[in-house]
Amino acid sequence: MILIDCPYCGEREQSEFTNGGEAHVIRPKNPEALSDKEWGQYVFYRSNPKGIFYERWNHTHGCRKWFNAVRDTSTDTILKIYKLTDNRPDISEFQSSLKSPSGEPAVGSGNFAVKK
Amino acid sequence: MPALRNKNCNYISNKVISITFDGKSYSAYDGDTIASALLRNNIRLIGRSFKYHRPRGIYTCGIEEPNALVQILNEHNEPNTRATIKRVYEGININSQNRWPSLSFDIGSINNILSPIFSAGFYYKTFMGPKGFWKKIYEPLIRHTAGLGKPPKNFRSKSIHQNHNVDILIVGGGLSGLIAARKLINTDNEVLIVEQDSFLGGILKNSNKVKKIDGKSVFDWVKETEKLILESKNIKILKNTLVTTYNFTNHLIALEDKFAGKDIDTNKTELILHKIRTTQTILANGHIERFISFRNNDLPGVMLASSFEKYIERYGVVPDEKPVIFTNNSSAISLVKSLINLNCKPGAYIDSRKKKDIEDETKDYLSKNNIPFYPESEVEGCEGNKKVEKVYIRSSNKEISSINASMLCPSGGFNPDIHLFTQSKGLVKWDDKIISFKPDTAFQNTITLGSVSGNYEFKNLCNEINKKLSFLKVNDLNLDIETNIRDDFSISELWETKTNKMSKWAKSFIDLHNDVTTKDLKQAINEGYDRIEHLKRYTTNSMGTDQGKISSINSLGIVSKILNKKIAEVGTTTYRPPYAPLSFAAIAGRSTYEYYDPERKTPIHNWHIKNNAVFEDVGQWKRPWFFKKNESETMHQAVQRESKQTRQTAGIIDGSTLGKIEIKGKDALEFMNLMYTNAFTKMKPMTSRYALMLGEDGMIMDDGIVCKINDKHFIATTTSSGAPKVLSHMEEFLQTEWPHLKVFLNSITEQFTTFNISGPKAREIIRKVFTDIDFSNEKFPFMTFKTFDYKNTQARIMRASFTGELGYEIYISPKHALELWEQIFNYGKEFNLVPYGTETMHLLRAEKGYVVIGQETDGTVTPLDLNFNWMIGKKKKDFIGKRSLTRSDTAREDRKQLVGLVPIDKSFFIEEGQHIVECENLPNKIKTPIEYLGHISSSYHSPNLNHCISMALIKNGNKLKGKKLFVSTSRGTKNIPVKVVSPVFIDPENKRLVS
Repeated sequence: MILIDCPYCGEREQSEFTNGGEAHVIRPKNPEALSDKEWGQYVFYRSNPKGIFYERWNHTHGCRKWFNAVRDTSTDTILKIYKLTDNRPDISEFQSSLKSPSGEPAVGSGNFAVKK
Repeated sequence: MPALRNKNCNYISNKVISITFDGKSYSAYDGDTIASALLRNNIRLIGRSFKYHRPRGIYTCGIEEPNALVQILNEHNEPNTRATIKRVYEGININSQNRWPSLSFDIGSINNILSPIFSAGFYYKTFMGPKGFWKKIYEPLIRHTAGLGKPPKNFRSKSIHQNHNVDILIVGGGLSGLIAARKLINTDNEVLIVEQDSFLGGILKNSNKVKKIDGKSVFDWVKETEKLILESKNIKILKNTLVTTYNFTNHLIALEDKFAGKDIDTNKTELILHKIRTTQTILANGHIERFISFRNNDLPGVMLASSFEKYIERYGVVPDEKPVIFTNNSSAISLVKSLINLNCKPGAYIDSRKKKDIEDETKDYLSKNNIPFYPESEVEGCEGNKKVEKVYIRSSNKEISSINASMLCPSGGFNPDIHLFTQSKGLVKWDDKIISFKPDTAFQNTITLGSVSGNYEFKNLCNEINKKLSFLKVNDLNLDIETNIRDDFSISELWETKTNKMSKWAKSFIDLHNDVTTKDLKQAINEGYDRIEHLKRYTTNSMGTDQGKISSINSLGIVSKILNKKIAEVGTTTYRPPYAPLSFAAIAGRSTYEYYDPERKTPIHNWHIKNNAVFEDVGQWKRPWFFKKNESETMHQAVQRESKQTRQTAGIIDGSTLGKIEIKGKDALEFMNLMYTNAFTKMKPMTSRYALMLGEDGMIMDDGIVCKINDKHFIATTTSSGAPKVLSHMEEFLQTEWPHLKVFLNSITEQFTTFNISGPKAREIIRKVFTDIDFSNEKFPFMTFKTFDYKNTQARIMRASFTGELGYEIYISPKHALELWEQIFNYGKEFNLVPYGTETMHLLRAEKGYVVIGQETDGTVTPLDLNFNWMIGKKKKDFIGKRSLTRSDTAREDRKQLVGLVPIDKSFFIEEGQHIVECENLPNKIKTPIEYLGHISSSYHSPNLNHCISMALIKNGNKLKGKKLFVSTSRGTKNIPVKVVSPVFIDPENKRLVS
């Protein structure tokens, strides 16, 4: 279970939080002006990358505040936590972060426990 | 005659205790494990194997045991307990497992003779047909014969969880762990040492390999170290605790047995699940010996060499005085020395290594002690009746000879115990010197020390530890470790010996727990399962409770030979937590039975109990389902009675469970307009409205009544189970999308107790209760509310109804709720006021055509599908879900729409969940799928109409009114003819509602 550093309460166990999916998906200002496709894109489509991911968390069993996090989905490492009012950190900040242990390919998974 | 005792063993007390095994009583020493106690009594047959029911004995002396699993007949009726780690106590009652009628005569062993049909992939190949056989014949048969112990009944755990936050965790209190700990004594690091045994020392106590450390006997050195640690200010030790899991972010789970060696006291904590968070993990968890596969390598009497030595040194019992030793490496000479020290002599020493590779010291020692020595030889197999009697040796000249022996000790080398390291996502690497995988790159803050890191040589140990811990800036520690055997480790590869004799009985096992033979591996590869992960699942190799601890590398060895690949290329299967089976009781901790989930009760709960309510769980709430008038009244009778009475005079329901959310603030109106479909702007203050909440996809999420006190203050009710979801939904949008809105949300569900009284006599009753309030239709019309003071608390009455009758909803402080409820009954007596539960509520609302969220809706239903067009504020610029209502799919006219259905023959009853079709009869054999138009969402027998009424969602339902359709039944092929009608069955003109 990972630890999450709530910007309002401090470090707490993951079980206190709820993941809210991709961050920085902004609700369109004028939905009526959008085509079905554009609106559908907002409602249904989210990215699901292997690697660096900007996502939302809610401290459900704590302060109930929403905040954003940057997480490496291949290692489950949280790289940065920031408030909703903060700017989106640039991806270049994280390029040098931990690589997955086995240098797995970008897509798919498998057993890579043995070092080649 | 009991087995020889090693009197020099310091770990077993002299206290004699009595134990029972399979009904017979034996004596043992305090401190024994079940295995050591049984070996002390010369018992070698312990159980029957999983599949073939072959006789099995004790194979190892620790957590890796594949065979000796027993059932403890105590209060918990503990099945599948490892005899090699469970400590005995006075009066312990142990049974062998998986045998019938008795251990020595087991009918299931017929499977051994039938074994050709139980080979690799047996389950996949055998139970393919005929149809219906699986459920009726195969599954019950397998369930009866397979499996091991019997599960406990009425088990109540006394386990707890404990959290630790430390700087350094040392896993394993053996030599390496203790050296590391000594270096850390009185430093600024908070350290926790976890040891699975009840004594520290690891290899120092388990073997004869180390003679002296810094001139002290190993026992004294360990004692001194333990004293130093206990006196230190910064190091704690947990004994009888096994680390089972290594998670991300240096989070480890360990299980402590508080009753090791003691009978369970049911008033005390039995198991503690330690959740440890650490900055640095030091793995010093050692190695595990592996076996060698040969013919009948599972016979009772075959025991790993280092385990045999551990019984002598750790438990003070010599399982056999003349065992035959079979090795492919340099370590087994230590066992010979242990035996010679006790004036015992091995029956033979068989070493598969080339003569020139065998250490001179070993050769000299064997010849000096006149031990029959077979270099460049191997064990072809062994034979005997439920025990080892004869050992067959293939000598260097390939001739086979036999010797008599009652125990045989193979040693196939050692595997660093990389299980935890790989769980932590560390990478391993093949090492040709030790012929095993060893840790390579750590992924977390993990350090491996000693044999787990692949270092088997004592003289390098301090160096290694000083180097690896140098980053901690602690002093170097150099110990003089004097050994009894030559320190450099040498091994030659040997996984399996060739079998000469073939018979139905003869088998060479690779996985003793799951009864997988080396032949199964070959067969699986021949059948195309040549990837190690596939092979594992196809053969069930290393999938038993021991997880192949002594055999998984051997199977890689055998597979690599067949595939003609290097073992490193074959790879290993994935090591997953837990390291050893964990009891569910420990994982559950205190979250069992009534502590598992909170029960929420309304302030009227005790009144409900007194009045024979039968309860239903709604979320965490206990709600009355129906009230039994007398013992013999059935649910159907009660619901019919309650429903009829409510429409005749009046009924009352405890609605306290309804979610209530208060919305306040400067921008409350704007916020409500965005959250709900309804338009609240023109709504008059002190009125209320039935409101719908949608998801952004346009689907109905929740409903409720919204009361508008003024533009800055609203109170919304939600469904009973939907309250947390609705509040979260509101909070989410308020924080993430519209933070500029000044709105405050407050859950007031439990601040107000709610009753809903409805029926034609409701006004007459409530008038008597609240004499100050004018309840006339003119002064208190439908969908308005009044707030007032009730005994110095805030109270509210709203005219609303979920039954279609004249109704009032009372919101009152929980403090006064019960007295008010009783008062209402006092006044209601003359009108036969009836309390009703959720079932009647559902029936009454169905008669009126009101929907229930989660029954008529399932996340795919839009307001338009329920003909709720009137509830949508079309003139509003935006609200959540609005844009989705005009998407081509949601705006489609032929979606499933809500209709009412009544059976044409009024005597029929329609079941909920049944399908609606166009055909009168279903064919006996369905060749092409029958078109399905929709399903029944609600169905009741209406006591007020005296026939069945149903609500259904049917494709294009709005255009089918008046049409005849058919509804399937749970029996037979004949469908029920029904007529499509409006879903409002009673009072479609709302005369009752607004009266």
